[in-house]
Amino acid sequence: MTDATELAADAGSADPRVGLHAVRALRILLEKLEAIQVSHARRQGWSWQEIAASLGVSKQAVHQKHAGGRRLRRER
Amino acid sequence: MFERFTASAREVVVAARHEATQLGHRYIGTEHLLLGLVAIEHLGGDGSPSAAEPPAGPVGRVLAAAGIRSDYVKSEIARLIGVCPGGLGEDEADALHSIGIDLDTVRSKLEDSFGEGVLDQAHGAPAGGRLPFTPRAKKALASSLREARRLGHDHLGVEHILLGLIREADGVAGQILATKAPLRILREQLLNELTRAA
Repeated sequence: MTDATELAADAGSADPRVGLHAVRALRILLEKLEAIQVSHARRQGWSWQEIAASLGVSKQAVHQKHAGGRRLRRER
Repeated sequence: MFERFTASAREVVVAARHEATQLGHRYIGTEHLLLGLVAIEHLGGDGSPSAAEPPAGPVGRVLAAAGIRSDYVKSEIARLIGVCPGGLGEDEADALHSIGIDLDTVRSKLEDSFGEGVLDQAHGAPAGGRLPFTPRAKKALASSLREARRLGHDHLGVEHILLGLIREADGVAGQILATKAPLRILREQLLNELTRAA
């Protein structure tokens, strides 16, 4: 990076491109983190309902996203 | 459309979606349908006899004879398509740094809990959950349906899925199949197997 670019980055740049790239990178990180934590919770025996509650989303949403399309059976 | 699928054919589609997700891809292409076929027909690994059983059905026999097994298909996919983007590389690390997040710290904290490489191996679920089919994959499945009709079958089975993939010669699956045998020959072999089995 050039000095100018470094300064811009250090100053918490006002360039929208930098900010938007940060959003994009954070979204990638977020999705990976969610996959890791959901899978970990399932291995620990958590129900989809419990996972959904912790994530603040619906059971259907978390199941659709993480259960690979399998049918959501009735569960506690 | 999926109402006409046999149970095995539906399993192929489910397996295809699973394979796509495992590879970190955000779509289901003909190559994933091929991986699904290979999985359902127990053609795992590198060609050594599957611990399960030898291929039972016509599709399994034709693919096995051509050397189309899971490892081979995956390495061909990597060769033809490359590793899918969507990882956390240097650009992403810089971008996160710009808002005060140190990706190395995040990575090492996760590795403390879950083991080495966990962040790099994780594949985030695609937005919306359901992976879409590529236009080519849809065409292949439409071809599968036409093949079934032409043969006078009222269901769409795994054999028709393979016929559909063979029809789409320009698809990634078609290209992979063609590296092992002319598509025309594979089609003939499969049709012969089907007539024998009938």
